[in-house]
Amino acid sequence: MIILDALQAVMSVNVLTAVTIGSISGVIIGGMPGLTATMAVALLIPITFSFSPLIGLSLMGGVYAGAMYGGSIAAILLSTPGTPAAAATAIEGYPLTKQGKGGLALKVSVIASFIGGTFSVVVLLLVSPLLAQFALKFGPPEYFLLALMGLTGVISVSSGGLAKGIMSGLIGLIIALIGTDAMSGMLRYTFGIVQLYEGVSFMPALIGMFSIAQMLALTSEKRIANEGIDLSSIKREKMPKGMAPFIALGTAVGTIVGIIPGEGATIAAFVSYNMAKQKSKFKELFGKGNPEGIAAAESGNNACVGGSLVPLLTLGIPGNTVSAALMGGLMIQGLIPGPELFTKYGQITYGFILSLFIANIVFLVVGLFFAPYFARIALIPASILIAAISVFAVIGSYAINNSMFDVGLMLIFAFGGFFLDKLGFSLSAIILGMILGPIAESGFAQALTISGGTYGIFFASVPAKILWVVIIVLLVQPLIGHYRSRKIKNTAS
Amino acid sequence: MRKLISLVLFLATVVVSGSFAAYPSKTVKLIVPSKAGGSTDTTARLFAQTAKKYWKNTDFIIIDKPGSGGLMGFEAEARSRPDGYTIGLMFTPQIVAHIVAKRASYTLKSFKIIGNIAEDPEIVVVPAQSSVKNLDELVKLAKSKKITAAVNGIGSDDFLAAKNFESATGVKFNLMPTRGSTEEKAAILGNHIEVAFMNLSQMLAQHKAGKARIIAIMAKKRSSVAMDIKTSVEQGYNVLMTATRGMLISSKVKKNIAAKIEDLYTKVVNDKGFQAKCKKAYIFLDPMNSSEYTAYLEQLQKDTQKVYDVSPW
Repeated sequence: MIILDALQAVMSVNVLTAVTIGSISGVIIGGMPGLTATMAVALLIPITFSFSPLIGLSLMGGVYAGAMYGGSIAAILLSTPGTPAAAATAIEGYPLTKQGKGGLALKVSVIASFIGGTFSVVVLLLVSPLLAQFALKFGPPEYFLLALMGLTGVISVSSGGLAKGIMSGLIGLIIALIGTDAMSGMLRYTFGIVQLYEGVSFMPALIGMFSIAQMLALTSEKRIANEGIDLSSIKREKMPKGMAPFIALGTAVGTIVGIIPGEGATIAAFVSYNMAKQKSKFKELFGKGNPEGIAAAESGNNACVGGSLVPLLTLGIPGNTVSAALMGGLMIQGLIPGPELFTKYGQITYGFILSLFIANIVFLVVGLFFAPYFARIALIPASILIAAISVFAVIGSYAINNSMFDVGLMLIFAFGGFFLDKLGFSLSAIILGMILGPIAESGFAQALTISGGTYGIFFASVPAKILWVVIIVLLVQPLIGHYRSRKIKNTAS
Repeated sequence: MRKLISLVLFLATVVVSGSFAAYPSKTVKLIVPSKAGGSTDTTARLFAQTAKKYWKNTDFIIIDKPGSGGLMGFEAEARSRPDGYTIGLMFTPQIVAHIVAKRASYTLKSFKIIGNIAEDPEIVVVPAQSSVKNLDELVKLAKSKKITAAVNGIGSDDFLAAKNFESATGVKFNLMPTRGSTEEKAAILGNHIEVAFMNLSQMLAQHKAGKARIIAIMAKKRSSVAMDIKTSVEQGYNVLMTATRGMLISSKVKKNIAAKIEDLYTKVVNDKGFQAKCKKAYIFLDPMNSSEYTAYLEQLQKDTQKVYDVSPW
């Protein structure tokens, strides 16, 4: 009954307008490196005072959902992930753009995002209190294992051979060591540079290694799309067949990982991508433009949107920085996370959840309509594109923390990344190490603090045991594959 | 010749409008030393919204400079051009903790303190499943076995509160620093640890919903938003800690401009609309004027130094 009331509230012109504006601006914000959904939601907080709670919240929810999808547009077309969660999408999307199939990649991305996003909202609507209990089972040891699970992705994302892939992952982990040691407060490898006390900022590294490094590579080309491709014929591409299982996979992983508070979306995207590669019949196409990878990664990160709202609405634990800002918006409206949100304030809360469905539909329509036009970016002469993207990259790395130091950092990563890439190291593996290193480290140290130094804590709980099984499965299969391919090579030679 | 005259006139206009125009004639920047969407950021945004009411022709922009427990922002505030167009937000005890830990290149003397806006008292919180109901029982439990206490980072208010509590009671916790209060929250709600030192606003909702139990508020007075929670002083433990959020400018700003900013601060914190919005956003107002707050900060630096001398980080 309360849901019907909520539905009626959502179907007002004001709310629908708010969601539409939110979702479209979210797509734009997500697509621009340097503008984040967190920033947009924070900007909206004081503005929402003047609106009724539902309008304010659906505006913010729209931005959140739209931005998560928007991150994939620049990732696919320019190898410039607008959000870290879209980095996995860039691995497959950019090669497709080079082949003149950017329109297809965008279509797969928007449909996968829509399905992932919508399913997770269904879950949020129906079973959130139950799932919140599941989220609470995750303590420090489980966080460590979750990060470890993400790190197994190093094997999948490394195309230049296993050894170099693992080395790349380790480079990322080493970079992640820079900064203040969370356990003792001691400074590690900061060389007295204040800007490094917090560690190496992640977005400048991402923009440098993905975006600028690609632009450097582009200097030897005339444009992004390869020579010889009929450029006038980027038409409305059909959705490729066989995407369904990968979207389902990403959706499931994203929803589950999203519920667990932490760096949800990025882990979900990489884990989904990793699993998709192992499941795929066309493994060798991964890294060269396989839409299956996009389907899994994008459904994975969008499924986190609904997932991350589960612990937020039921327990007041924000799953990531965007939902932390969203919590600010809720509290300002006098909506305190907890059981009352679903009873006393049910109309607003359910209305907010329902508005997320609409946000998903809005970005689906926008994405499908504009995909062929966006894809034409691949036709722009490189000389113009490189200049434009470089400007964006500089502004983007500055804007994250309002820091010139980050711009320098971005340039170091750009040139370092360019050469490492040429030498066959995997930039994605470096990124993965950088994101997951700190999560793994603090989970490990916190778990041992709790247990008093006994390692049994990593095997004690049920979720921990399940995570170990998943980690082993994710490791064994590619290692066997690697061993086999080497054997074949040896016999051939 | 005409060109020369117009050049002279142009320069004259620039110089006059630059130096003799009445303050404030330009956009005022508010530096927030933490992430967008956090409570300091929200405080700043609400402040700017209300300030616009009193300085009608002035625009305010918020610049978030997060990182290293506020250090990046505090440094930027200390280095800012002392023309009164940069106002900094700050929070304790981090601003003095960085000085004590020799990480900062500023001192309290680098700033002219405008005043305090809000506070968020320190609390001691246990899981709902815990048998501990008050501080006495907590001390008893901690003496019978090694228990894990979460604090949000080293050198934070949580950390100092836990250290002060340890030295006042003689217990020794298994101190578990987290990266952010969200991790502390999840660990308490999931019953993974025995106790956490946090701020009131971070756990009040969970306490009211019965999902966690706040056993003490480390203040002299109970909080008006949660009258059921006993203070540490009431329970016989004289351990006090609170996180304050105030405002400052560079100490080199001219006196008459500083006075205008102080006046604006006073108007905003006494504004009924501002007060109502803060209440809704779980921002507990606690205005302290420039001299009160400066004295508070100096005392806090001395107290923090004592903790640092015993157990440095």
